[in-house]
Amino acid sequence: MELWVLFGTFTFLLLIGTPVAFCLGVSSFATIAFLGLPPVVVFQRLNSGVSVFALMAIPFFIYAGDLMVRGDIARRLVALAGAFVGHFRGGLGQVNVLSSVMFGGVSGSAAADASAVGGLMVPQMKERGYDVDYAVNITVVSSIIALLLPPSHNMIIYSIAAGGRISIADLFTAGILPGLLLALALMITSWYVAMRKGYPVQPFQGFRIIGTLFVSAAPGLILVAIIFGGVRSGIFTASESSNIAVVYALFVTFFVYRTLSFEDFKAATFAAVRTTAMVLLVIGSAAAFGWLLAYTRVPASMVELLQGLSDNPIVILLLLNVVLLILGTFMDMSPLIVITTPIFLPVATAFGVDPVHFGVILILNLGIGLCTPPVGAVLFVGCAVGRIPIWDAVRTIWPFYGAAVAVLLAVTYIPGLSLWLPQLFR
Amino acid sequence: MSPTALQSVARATGLLARLALWVAAIGLVAMTAMIACQVFWRYVLNDSIIWTEPASVMVMGWFIFLGAAVGIREGYHLSFDVLLYFLPDSVVPWLHSLSDIAVGAFGLGMIWFGTELAVKTGGNMIPSLGISGAFDFIPIVAGGVLVVLFSAERIVRRAAGLETARFGEEADLD
Repeated sequence: MELWVLFGTFTFLLLIGTPVAFCLGVSSFATIAFLGLPPVVVFQRLNSGVSVFALMAIPFFIYAGDLMVRGDIARRLVALAGAFVGHFRGGLGQVNVLSSVMFGGVSGSAAADASAVGGLMVPQMKERGYDVDYAVNITVVSSIIALLLPPSHNMIIYSIAAGGRISIADLFTAGILPGLLLALALMITSWYVAMRKGYPVQPFQGFRIIGTLFVSAAPGLILVAIIFGGVRSGIFTASESSNIAVVYALFVTFFVYRTLSFEDFKAATFAAVRTTAMVLLVIGSAAAFGWLLAYTRVPASMVELLQGLSDNPIVILLLLNVVLLILGTFMDMSPLIVITTPIFLPVATAFGVDPVHFGVILILNLGIGLCTPPVGAVLFVGCAVGRIPIWDAVRTIWPFYGAAVAVLLAVTYIPGLSLWLPQLFR
Repeated sequence: MSPTALQSVARATGLLARLALWVAAIGLVAMTAMIACQVFWRYVLNDSIIWTEPASVMVMGWFIFLGAAVGIREGYHLSFDVLLYFLPDSVVPWLHSLSDIAVGAFGLGMIWFGTELAVKTGGNMIPSLGISGAFDFIPIVAGGVLVVLFSAERIVRRAAGLETARFGEEADLD
């Protein structure tokens, strides 16, 4: 009965448009009252849920990403990607994917990637005779890459939602091969679509230009090495390395590139405050919600339920993926990570799935959800950048969805894709 | 309340929201500075500062609760109101107000129980900072006050037929 109160209140409030953070908080409050427990527990959990040092990596990585977009680091990375793969078939589509690999390596936010790379690439692609829907499709789906490559703040959210026991360094490393595989799959898809539509090819710009653009983009690329090297080697915690990312981005854009004005700095700071205060409140109220899930033994019952359905891990993983994909079409990524991790992670581990491997599956799966209607933050950003209705983008996006789902299946059923690289580093 | 009275209310709450946002933004910059010092001291000067970590976590509390409260007024929270597009227009404002009441009630809880927690821990000392444990709970109380205020404003404005921010969209409130 208490579960009806918990999920009933949550679903009702969600459907009438209450912000997710408050859906979680109010439904926890209602359930605690129903159970006759002291309501102060909810607010104690909420407060301790946001007072975690590891959480600080989230505002810092988002802040650093904002500074990089406004301070020209993103544009230089895109220019470098252009010189590398612009002369392939469907050139600017390939550039778009490679830009997401490079920018994803410094930012980790799919929405930032879609607006940064899309803002630069979509107008260029339009100008050179590509269809706008193709430009938007490739922008939207390729920004999932940013979620998988380190640094990904969503991996940090997952680690915290799982109780903080999963190594962030392992999660960062585990995402690399799946991220690159997705990039490869999308490059092949955009090549195939470009061939069928007869899109133009750019001339090769020459090694001299590549060299110049490489030097110009190098400060951005060095950041990747600092963040990944620092966290992987255990020298810095994720929070410290995210802080270094902010300081370094400020240093490069203020003093080296001299591209960031004080107005830009202010705008980046306010944008980071708006985005992260909301995400972090969701995480805090999910701490109260998660406490109630554990109290009412939801994860244990879920394991029993699924074990009754099938004892085959292949079937269970497929089932989890389908459920997550459906949930992902309706809700945003960060709330879903914090709500589903305490319920589904015990199921996955009960069937012998490594928590690091499950994290990569979860992030990739929910990343696809960001690109699907009716609620898809990245799809909305892409369509806004390309100024086309969502329906126009979705009509021709299927080959790209197909590539992403194929990679999801590969990542789900080949644990080595996620686990081989972290083992190598241990 | 008459529309003109509401406009001056909107100016006052708008100012309050901007102030809260500034405090949150300064908090983010302060957090950045504190952790940067911590890293510099530890890895360059081989000396550790013990207060930066708990202090920055406390600043993060301010930043989260104030920033999130302003989100109620400006409408930048994550939400999912697809159902409302299928309901008749006459019902929708009622459901929006019901949602605002739920949010406001949670804000009251933040004030009430946050104060209770602050009183309970008031006698304890936070070891590395040397200040009362009550400081840990001031942000949730302050955030609660703003949540109640901004939710009440939304309900009153809607009743007077004025615009309120729909979550996920921009609105002109002043």
